[in-house]
Amino acid sequence: MSRTLEFRNIRKEFPGVKALNNVSFNAAGGEVLALIGENGAGKSTLLKILNGDYQPTSGDYIVNGECKSFRDPHEAIEQGVGVIYQERQLVAYLSVAENIFMEDIPVNSVGLIDFSKLNQEAQHIIDEFHIPISAKDKVKDISVAYQQMVEIMKVYRRKPDIIAFDEPTASLSDSEISILFDIIRKLKKQGIIILYVSHRLKEIFQIADRVVILKDGEFVRMLETDKTNPEEIVRLMVGRSLGDIFNELEHSSNYGDVVLDVRNLCSGLIDNVSFQVHAGEILGFAGLVGAGRSETMKAIYGADSIKSGEIFVDGRLNRFDHPSDAIECGIALCPEDRKDEGIVRGRSVMENLTVSILERLKKWGFINFTEEKRITNESIKNLDIKTPSIQKNIVELSGGNQQKVILARCLATNPKILILDEPTKGIDVGAKSEIYKIICSLARKGIGIIVISSELPEVMGLCDRIIVMSRGHISGEVMKDEATEEKILTMAMARM
Amino acid sequence: MKKIVGSEKLGLVIALIIMIIGFSVLTDNNYFTANNVINILIASAIVGLVTIGESYLLISGQVDLSPGSVAAFSGVLVTLLLSRGVVMWVAIPVVILSGILIGFFNALMVTKLRFESFIATLASMSIFRGFAYIICDGKSIFVTDTSFLKMGTGRILGVPIPVIICAAMFAVFGLILNRTKFGRSVYMVGGNAIAARLAGIKTVDVKVKLFMMTSAFAALGGIILAARMSSGQPSASVGLEFDAVTACVLGGIAMSGGIGNLSGALIGLLIMQGFNNGLMMMNVQSFWQTVARGVLLIAALAFDYVRNRQREAKLNEHHPEKTGTDSLLTI
Repeated sequence: MSRTLEFRNIRKEFPGVKALNNVSFNAAGGEVLALIGENGAGKSTLLKILNGDYQPTSGDYIVNGECKSFRDPHEAIEQGVGVIYQERQLVAYLSVAENIFMEDIPVNSVGLIDFSKLNQEAQHIIDEFHIPISAKDKVKDISVAYQQMVEIMKVYRRKPDIIAFDEPTASLSDSEISILFDIIRKLKKQGIIILYVSHRLKEIFQIADRVVILKDGEFVRMLETDKTNPEEIVRLMVGRSLGDIFNELEHSSNYGDVVLDVRNLCSGLIDNVSFQVHAGEILGFAGLVGAGRSETMKAIYGADSIKSGEIFVDGRLNRFDHPSDAIECGIALCPEDRKDEGIVRGRSVMENLTVSILERLKKWGFINFTEEKRITNESIKNLDIKTPSIQKNIVELSGGNQQKVILARCLATNPKILILDEPTKGIDVGAKSEIYKIICSLARKGIGIIVISSELPEVMGLCDRIIVMSRGHISGEVMKDEATEEKILTMAMARM
Repeated sequence: MKKIVGSEKLGLVIALIIMIIGFSVLTDNNYFTANNVINILIASAIVGLVTIGESYLLISGQVDLSPGSVAAFSGVLVTLLLSRGVVMWVAIPVVILSGILIGFFNALMVTKLRFESFIATLASMSIFRGFAYIICDGKSIFVTDTSFLKMGTGRILGVPIPVIICAAMFAVFGLILNRTKFGRSVYMVGGNAIAARLAGIKTVDVKVKLFMMTSAFAALGGIILAARMSSGQPSASVGLEFDAVTACVLGGIAMSGGIGNLSGALIGLLIMQGFNNGLMMMNVQSFWQTVARGVLLIAALAFDYVRNRQREAKLNEHHPEKTGTDSLLTI
């Protein structure tokens, strides 16, 4: 009997966010079905429903004609549904065999591990895959691509119906990708249903039979890969009308002098990056994940070390060994990962807001609490931060309001240059448009602003000029009125 | 120092009062007398100094296991210097300076070599206990210098000098923790070191200062102990750091960092020493006292655990799950 998978009217809601809305499609054994969509389109949510991490709010998830509802990923694997994530979930110092049979290692009559049986069974699977590793090799000693194979074998040994891949090629080289594709084709021949999530269009045309396009949590279209082309897919992926919000924004009409001039910046991950920002300008940085955008900003900000290159602020050459030097010089950075790099958990809104200006708040060696409260209240009013009190633990605020506190922290330093790394990541549309308005009003006041964003409509709607990075280099630059998503995508994939 | 008794601290104060009443009843009102309170305070003074250091460290997300050894080493070193004719006003600063250097050594292991502070200071705990024995050849060194002994046994207006020193330090360092940039930085480093650094806090400097500070307190504690015992003993103050950490955790300082304050630690310290003293007055065998102290630590950690769970629960309420955004960004 051939295997089947069907999603019928799947909906998944989080408080205030519809992650998936009425998504329906099906897949059959022996085909590779690609899932594609922008950030936030709902691909990962769908995979998490697939492997039992999430339960759908409503809708049916049917495998081989049977309705499924897995309690957790473990149960999903036991019942033949496995997801291979891009981060390895292996134990580096154990052998390949031990990793493959992690959950139920064969034991002998006295309860000790039966190594000969373990290695024999593991080697049997490895031979099926035709890859040159031994069951006894330690996982840390084999290449990244083979580690991924071990990951696949962990799922494969349970004779699964469905194997899903989440961005499997993100850390693989071209030759390693072809090894992976050979395996995927083998699995496909055995009648296993393969789901393949990737943003790399080229790969989708290489490996997938059909492609499902998702957008903003909705199913857009299912296409057969040999009857479509990359242009059509991109158009379906990005053709959204968030435009209204952006049309209302008031940009500054004329720029001031160059406030930031970066020349030939090189660090471990970026190579020869040069650009300028003017007072009052909003400069966007687009590119794929890992293109080196955040790394560029952290190098400028003194958070990462620089190999070579020069940074001029207001025409003066500067060298920052620590973020505090950059702050003093008028650069503020609002980091990408709000939870890990932005907020200080367990501390109050006020403490989070004033942490960068404590030096200024000093009076006779002590923090001037009156002044601290005044500045905090003023910022809360200016940015319309919704918090019951300035003493509230910051984690109790909504994501959008937390982001505003971090933004207020940056603004309290009176920056000349404000760097915003994914300023609207993971916050709802209402808060997004508020943050866009704040950004524009800051630009009108003459602050030079850099916005890193992986959401193309955002970069195009918000920024006056867009620099595109790819693999650590600047691969192109485009003005707002000439920018199209296709143009930016082409530049972003220039060196892939 | 506005909030001596916050809502979280109310429970601690109540626990302290219940303990005082309990032991008073059990000891026929011999517990809460001026004399015995002074005894409790004397017993608290040396642990108290180290508690200040450990409080700062725990709040910053670190721990130091070496204070007991550093105190013993410092006690032996100061008596050694005095016995060689070095005057007290030179010997004491020299020993405190050596404590600061030991702290710097700990800090280097943590910040440069990136060892976990637990492991790094476990190593120095062994190293400096060893040096304490080496510099005196394993024998106690006795002191007769009366002005030095006064540091341990003297009183001003009836209050023992060690208690005055400890109380003064609590006041000064409480103020520093609550009201200065440095104090605020300690909280920020403990709450989220990466975020703190990006916000311009020099996190490495903060950690280095904290380790130096804690070892300096251990050295001061060791000097005072030597003065009280009129000798430097290499086997002294074993487990001093554990008493200090117990006091901190009892006082509401989270092992995970970022949370707690010195007034809490002070109450924790008084509960711990009051508890020891009460058991002693009830003639509980000293071996059982050791057991009881362990139980008290478990109780403290259980409190910490429950508090953490509550914090986490509160957190999850507000962040049910990562909302619909994909973990890997795409264009």
